[in-house]
Amino acid sequence: MSKAALALLTVVALLLVVQIIDRWREPAQLQAVMNASERAASAQERMLQELKAMRHELARRSATASNDAAVEPLSPADKRDDKRDGKPRLGANFLLPYDRTHVHPAWFGGTIREFNVTPKGFNPIVENSADANEALGLVNDSLCTSHPATPQLWSESLAESVVVSDDWKTYTFRLRPGVVWQRPNCAKQKEFAWLDRDVPLTSADFAFYVEMVQNPEVECPQLKSYYDDLERIETPDDRTIVLHWKKKVFTSMSFSFGMSPLPRHIYAFSRDGSPIAAKAIGTVFNKHWFDDLGGIAGVGGYTLDVNESDKLVRFRRNPTYWGATYHFDAMEWDAEVKLPDPQLVAFKNGQVHSLTLQPAQWKSQIVDGGESRFARPDPKDPKAGRTGELGWEKVKGNSYSYIGWNLRRAIFADKRTRQALACAMPKQRLIDEIWFGLGRPQIGPVHLDNPYFNSEIKDFAYDPTRAKALLSESGWRDSDNDGWLDREIDGKRVPLRITLKFLANRPTWEAGLLVYRDELKRLGVDLRTETYEWKEMLRIYEEKDFDAVVGGWQLGSLEPDFVQVWNSASADEPRSSNHVGFRNARVDELSLRLRESFEPETRMPIIKEIQAIIFEDQPYLFFMSTGSVFVWQNRGAPAKDRWLAGVAEGLDAYHPLFNRSPLLWHFVRE
Amino acid sequence: MWSYAFRRLLWMIPTFLGILVINFAVLRMQGLSLTDTIASGMGKGDGERKAESASQAIETWLGRFHRTGNDLPALINLRGFTTSDGVRGRLLAAERGPQVDEAKRSRAELEDLWLQGPLLVEPLLAVLKDDGAARLHGPASMALSLCAYRPLLPEDAYLLAPAEQDRIRVRNERLKQLRIAYRNDREQGFITADPEAARKRDALIALLHADAFEFSRSSRRWSAIVSETGFVDFAHRLFTGRLYSETRKALAFDVIAERWSVTAWLNLLSILIAWAVSIPLGVWSARRAGSFADRAVTGLLFSLWSIPSFFVATVLLHHFCTQDASGAAWFPNRGLSSPDSLWLSTPAYLADLAWHAALPLFCLTYGSFTSLSRYLRANVQEQLASDYVRSARAKGVSEDVVVWSHATRNSMVTMITLGAGLLAELFGGFVFVEYVFSIPGLGMLTLEAAKQMDAPLMMAATVVSVGLLLVGILIADLLYAVADPRIRSRYV
Repeated sequence: MSKAALALLTVVALLLVVQIIDRWREPAQLQAVMNASERAASAQERMLQELKAMRHELARRSATASNDAAVEPLSPADKRDDKRDGKPRLGANFLLPYDRTHVHPAWFGGTIREFNVTPKGFNPIVENSADANEALGLVNDSLCTSHPATPQLWSESLAESVVVSDDWKTYTFRLRPGVVWQRPNCAKQKEFAWLDRDVPLTSADFAFYVEMVQNPEVECPQLKSYYDDLERIETPDDRTIVLHWKKKVFTSMSFSFGMSPLPRHIYAFSRDGSPIAAKAIGTVFNKHWFDDLGGIAGVGGYTLDVNESDKLVRFRRNPTYWGATYHFDAMEWDAEVKLPDPQLVAFKNGQVHSLTLQPAQWKSQIVDGGESRFARPDPKDPKAGRTGELGWEKVKGNSYSYIGWNLRRAIFADKRTRQALACAMPKQRLIDEIWFGLGRPQIGPVHLDNPYFNSEIKDFAYDPTRAKALLSESGWRDSDNDGWLDREIDGKRVPLRITLKFLANRPTWEAGLLVYRDELKRLGVDLRTETYEWKEMLRIYEEKDFDAVVGGWQLGSLEPDFVQVWNSASADEPRSSNHVGFRNARVDELSLRLRESFEPETRMPIIKEIQAIIFEDQPYLFFMSTGSVFVWQNRGAPAKDRWLAGVAEGLDAYHPLFNRSPLLWHFVRE
Repeated sequence: MWSYAFRRLLWMIPTFLGILVINFAVLRMQGLSLTDTIASGMGKGDGERKAESASQAIETWLGRFHRTGNDLPALINLRGFTTSDGVRGRLLAAERGPQVDEAKRSRAELEDLWLQGPLLVEPLLAVLKDDGAARLHGPASMALSLCAYRPLLPEDAYLLAPAEQDRIRVRNERLKQLRIAYRNDREQGFITADPEAARKRDALIALLHADAFEFSRSSRRWSAIVSETGFVDFAHRLFTGRLYSETRKALAFDVIAERWSVTAWLNLLSILIAWAVSIPLGVWSARRAGSFADRAVTGLLFSLWSIPSFFVATVLLHHFCTQDASGAAWFPNRGLSSPDSLWLSTPAYLADLAWHAALPLFCLTYGSFTSLSRYLRANVQEQLASDYVRSARAKGVSEDVVVWSHATRNSMVTMITLGAGLLAELFGGFVFVEYVFSIPGLGMLTLEAAKQMDAPLMMAATVVSVGLLLVGILIADLLYAVADPRIRSRYV
């Protein structure tokens, strides 16, 4: 074949390839056009709904101003008075009025993006994952809420009032009127047209929630245990909920106030809109058609707009929301980028607005100046990170890590041994050098920034001399001169050899434990470490198959409860949280008494005493209160996007454990 | 040639099935067994509450495992051959003795019996009817109530008539109510502790007699050996496309359909690039064997080969994909196309694709340059030293023709072999590149499914990966026949 013919053939082949690719792309382009027109139609509908909501609000305000009788007057109990201070008490409504002070309409707009995973599902009862709960927090509301500045005080949300009576066993809530369920996305489909209507929120939705949690066929073991003590729920009318608890227990407060409604008009019905038989509803609920569609419906400030697995989850502002949302029109979770390094690169490229750095990234990017857009740290100024184009700030996490000793093993029988192991741990040095200062030494089971923290407890300082003395006092000697301590236990010579098990792929812990092992070696203690994957670690915890484990606790509320982790009754339970087998009659007595105490003045001394006992006993080597570095697009972000403001104000104004709440965040452009 | 291709295709089937069996067996070995799951969930409360929670746990988990076929034995089901004597023996083995460790062992024995399913109803019923085995009636009734238990799944609400659902529900409830209370005493073994034991026994026998046909084993036991196994259940779901991913809330193959082409295309391109670079490089090196240039290139290639692709990918990401102050970067940091690439013209779209795929393809291919080019270099050198090449040179054939048309062509069989092996490596190594460059492909999907313990999705993704691999090997086998007439004549 001549060269000219070959060249002609090549050109023809290339043109053919281009044509094929063009045809191949056409369906996707057509689909994109259809999606765009659907979005335009939805946007139009949303605008109409927003106009409707604005009209309703104007009517409400003018009716209030002219004392219109159509507006329901406030009952005497609801009138503002000093007693509505947010602190729970008996006999009167104490809820703070709903707070809208953070809302500035001039700041509305934009889409905020962050990294997150695609939730496996959105069923509020069956799904028990952190990301599902985060999504539900955006889409749904609870009876009461609290402000991040004052997390211990309760304020109105779906409930306008609550009266607690009968010695903390009866909670009577009055629901806010006019709250309407969001229409789920599937309602736009012909098959689910029966869902395309406004359904008001009523007390029946809360009753349905309790009914499902307590249904023996519904698979929610953790939730069930919390509602075991709930005797019954009554709904005398559409706006009144009465919860009756079997006994006076402190946890009844958080579970009553934090209860969210469950859309009965969806979950109690089959796909075709026919009601599900009462006998079958428990079984069907575990694998409900609505969950299979990836549906979520709530009464909250945002609705689920897009849910593409491993790609993107988007929430859009609910135009008919009764309350005050964040300033963003939409919030996106980027689920495509999974590893820390690619996430950091994506953040630097302006593809997300905030991120939490790993310790090694903090060191390389900020401390060592690897990224010039971060301001360099200033030991004298903890807020130095706010001046850079990419803002950063060290923040506190509501969690701590520990090394747990298996108290069933004879080598740990004497608490002086455990105290010695604590004295041998150079906590601060490890935090400074291995965790690069991102954390503080943890002292006991209560977080350092919790108001109930017992500051009188003194940590076991790094003191090898004292450690040696304690080991000697508890009977450990090197009787055979092999360099390792040993002791006679039940007639046998037992070396002080500890196998410490922890989760694989944690390089900071691997490095830290190397140091600790050397420290213990000098004292004659043989520490060996083993790593395991998560599933195997779960088995190790559950079967107590360890000498020692590395663990951590995420602490939720600021109100400590010690029964779950420290109660003697659960020391031998297979899946209990008391996996080290801690037993102490005094702690048991105090922790049960604590559950029956409601006033802070009564609770404080009990909690402090419990902390002192546990810390002295050292069932854990309490290691570190976790910290991290929060980074955000501070100014001068790439042209397409705007940068975040309001972050610093939140960091200053809110409680240190809740100061990353996006209530004050908004976009500005230079 | 066609018959050769057809024979190769037929050989794929048993290979594929064998890999499927191994995969399934490995997955089942690693997964929690029903007994483990229930044991770890039991133990709450004490006494009656403990027994109640145990029973509740079993019923809950039976339903869940029934959905995935995990309540069945993995590969062979011999439960239909258990005799009443066998059952009796197992019940007696579960009876406690005076030793301290007996509690754990006997509980495990009993729990294992509880989970045997409907094929054990007949022998258990025989034990229950035996007046001489009165002390075993308690544990037998417990085991019967669970073996005859038929979990009602959510889809049954649509598949079964309401009357049938009610019948099953009522029977399940009756089975629970007719359990004869007993204790497993450390000193005395099984002790019946139920004043209504006789009535419950008669009622249970009558209840199960009414459904005798459902539990009859005579016609079923032989077919059940293979048909009622976890593997067959899984294979049935696989080949009818009914494998359902709990984590994605979609059919597994629908999820994979979005992603497999990404992995397949990138792997194909990687192989083509690897060959396109390695072949000329290998031939060039062979023609200059021993020279300084050859040694320098060899050193460079081995240095590249020794650097792990995950490390290279991360370094490239940081240095070439991070935008500077002006917002510019050499390459994009994620994905295979820009967000607005759908509306680009085709040449621009292809350029955008090439721009996105450049770094991932480099990470995938650089390691294979070394092995492919060095193998080819050795083979070409060997060919260049052979008699026929000397003859060709003596006849006046040009050096280029000698090298390319003769020596290189005869060396290509090795390249095809290596290419097929490369395909397998690429499927494994692609996971790292997908993660670092955030490419939504099959590798990442498989790993995510493994982390979330989504067995159906993992199996489906593995099946697709294995299928693609086998197709690649088939293509390699066919190319052998094309490249080497000796192979063609041997098999055709």
